[in-house]
Amino acid sequence: MTSHQILNPADHGQLRISTGAGSALGDGVMACLAVPAEFRRLASEFPILFRYDAESRRFGALALFGFEQGENLYLGEQDWDATCRPLAMSVQPFLVGRPQHGDGPSQVHIDMAHPRISANGEGMRVFDEHGQQTPYLEKLTGLLGALDEGYRASGDFLAALARYDLLEPFSMDVTLDSGAMHRLVGYHLIDEAKLAALEPAVLSELHAAGHLEPIYMALASLGNLSKLVRRKNLRSNG
Amino acid sequence: MLAARHPWLQITLVEAPDIPTIGVGEGTWPTMRETLAAIGIPETEFLMECDASFKQGSRFDCWVSGAEGDSYYHPFSLPPAGQMRDLLAAWAAQDGNQPFAAAMTAQAAVSAAQLAPRQRAMPDYAGALNYAYHLDAGKFAALLARHATQRLGVRRLAAKVVAVRGAEGGDIAALELDDGSSVAADLFVDCSGQAALLIDGHCGAEWIDRSGVSFNDRALVVQVPTPPDSAVASVTIGTAHEAGWLWDIALPTRRGIGCVYSARHMVDERAEQVLRDYVQRAVPGSDAAALTPRLLKFRTGHRARFWQGNCVAIGLSAGFIEPLEASAIVMIELSLRALADALPMSRSAMEVHAGRFNECFRYRWERIVEFLKLHYVLSQRSEPYWLAQRAPETIPQRLAENLRLWAEQPPAPRDFPDFEEIFPAASQQYVLYGMTGSPQGAPSAASAPVAARLAEVHERARTMLAGLPGNRTYLGALAPAHEERRMA
Repeated sequence: MTSHQILNPADHGQLRISTGAGSALGDGVMACLAVPAEFRRLASEFPILFRYDAESRRFGALALFGFEQGENLYLGEQDWDATCRPLAMSVQPFLVGRPQHGDGPSQVHIDMAHPRISANGEGMRVFDEHGQQTPYLEKLTGLLGALDEGYRASGDFLAALARYDLLEPFSMDVTLDSGAMHRLVGYHLIDEAKLAALEPAVLSELHAAGHLEPIYMALASLGNLSKLVRRKNLRSNG
Repeated sequence: MLAARHPWLQITLVEAPDIPTIGVGEGTWPTMRETLAAIGIPETEFLMECDASFKQGSRFDCWVSGAEGDSYYHPFSLPPAGQMRDLLAAWAAQDGNQPFAAAMTAQAAVSAAQLAPRQRAMPDYAGALNYAYHLDAGKFAALLARHATQRLGVRRLAAKVVAVRGAEGGDIAALELDDGSSVAADLFVDCSGQAALLIDGHCGAEWIDRSGVSFNDRALVVQVPTPPDSAVASVTIGTAHEAGWLWDIALPTRRGIGCVYSARHMVDERAEQVLRDYVQRAVPGSDAAALTPRLLKFRTGHRARFWQGNCVAIGLSAGFIEPLEASAIVMIELSLRALADALPMSRSAMEVHAGRFNECFRYRWERIVEFLKLHYVLSQRSEPYWLAQRAPETIPQRLAENLRLWAEQPPAPRDFPDFEEIFPAASQQYVLYGMTGSPQGAPSAASAPVAARLAEVHERARTMLAGLPGNRTYLGALAPAHEERRMA
């Protein structure tokens, strides 16, 4: 259930948001949206994979946190155990909204049904007593802007990957120390052979469009898959 | 503290069941956090058991002129790092003429908004700002006794000391108790309060009277119950009146209010009137007429020596200067810390320890006397009491010298060089500039980096106002969480 509203001081003057991390705050997810503009930052912590969405008939990029639904191996009891967090996680419970008609400037929306909406008087205020944005909201607005911009730019990037057929299906069997098996299916990753075989003109085009860096970052991020398996083993053994 | 730091010690507490505790002394210093952590009491347990609340400093109302709006903060958090001279210039160059404390620390704004200094998710005794506690002194004494006997191995005897048996050289050999038993020991700590059974009764340590500097010698005290949803202030509010001042300490369940005055300048009946008027004004919905104030008389001064032979006086037996700035409990903590740090291992080393302890604490009592006097000397109030407070012959020489220096330069760490200075330069600055405003003749050119530091203070205040919970919210959330943890 979600309940989206346009954020404003009249309705949300007293609102507080629970920051921090925890599955009770909605962080218990196995993956989240990632945009190419943040691949470089994310590549040091998370595997970046691609997934085809049959409904929208296009690919999307994801940062992977776990191997099964609801599993986030970067989530401790009360802390986020990674040096960074994808924008799509950081901005919760806020969303980028658009006016109902036309393509006007984006708005800050909030999901009032999100578990980060605080009901106990603790947490970060969004507006101060004069109805002005707090530093917290200023920061969040900046992150939302970055996410929005990154998302808009991702269409070109994904189209370029499709154009040159640079994605290949990927599945992975994970066998834990305990003998338990997990299987990742339905994902795609960068096809290294095809990437290596690209003509200079194509490489030049991808570079000029700013796509080459995120392609290589996504490739480099795959080293995090084995680290993720290690986290899973630690958790199962612990 | 001694038991926690030196588990091998055999400590016996002799406490007479029929002698009540003073029951005031509800404000601590930030040192209390270290003390509680050192003796191993979890913060939530302490807050719950003692009906405690957070104290982030003091607010002084009516001390300068007594007029409407005469108010300043003395917060516990320090001004930004850097030369105070430069900070003063940057402060003077700011628009809006904001008070000194508000310019120097986010704590003034946080206190004014009655917010807590920490979030519940933070580790025990850590905070976004420096803080201490307001507490129910009776419950705190009970918690300490329980903790000491049940967890730290202290033996507690419910008995009254009827005689002190001496040893050679003026030492104490043993205490004779009213149940016929006696307690022998190597070292005796006199915690008998104003009675000073050991340090005075046996050792005859000289008492140095300070009532010529510090006039207040009485307090009329009430406790006013407050509704469960009432706001809880973040500071001790000290409001000056015609011949003294009133304290106002908010706990979750009540307000502790006391009228402090000088019997030489005010009769008890008038003090009671001042107290009732204040309660009527400051605690909406209270029935001031129904309250029965309790009168406390105190002697102003301290020992010439606090450690004599094998006896150390800690608490009221060592000395007392009026409750302003809550120096009583912190002196107990500092005494215990000094004793635990330098515990004699033999009788022969004791003389050396005693000499140094006495020197250290004579210095501290002097600084307390001077700092408290500073609050009165800077006043412009014109009642006879206040004029008498400013009479030059009542001002300690070193304070008079400091004031001459501070006309030209800010209070500096060099003026207060002790390693555990009880009121460091920052405290002096908060009171001095809180009461007198921006100094005349300060260099007006504020350097950009220093101005940026004050701008950071402002940003920190905005962030903290957004992120810190209200005192009432914080304290209200403790009970369910505490219960949950006990069940688990």
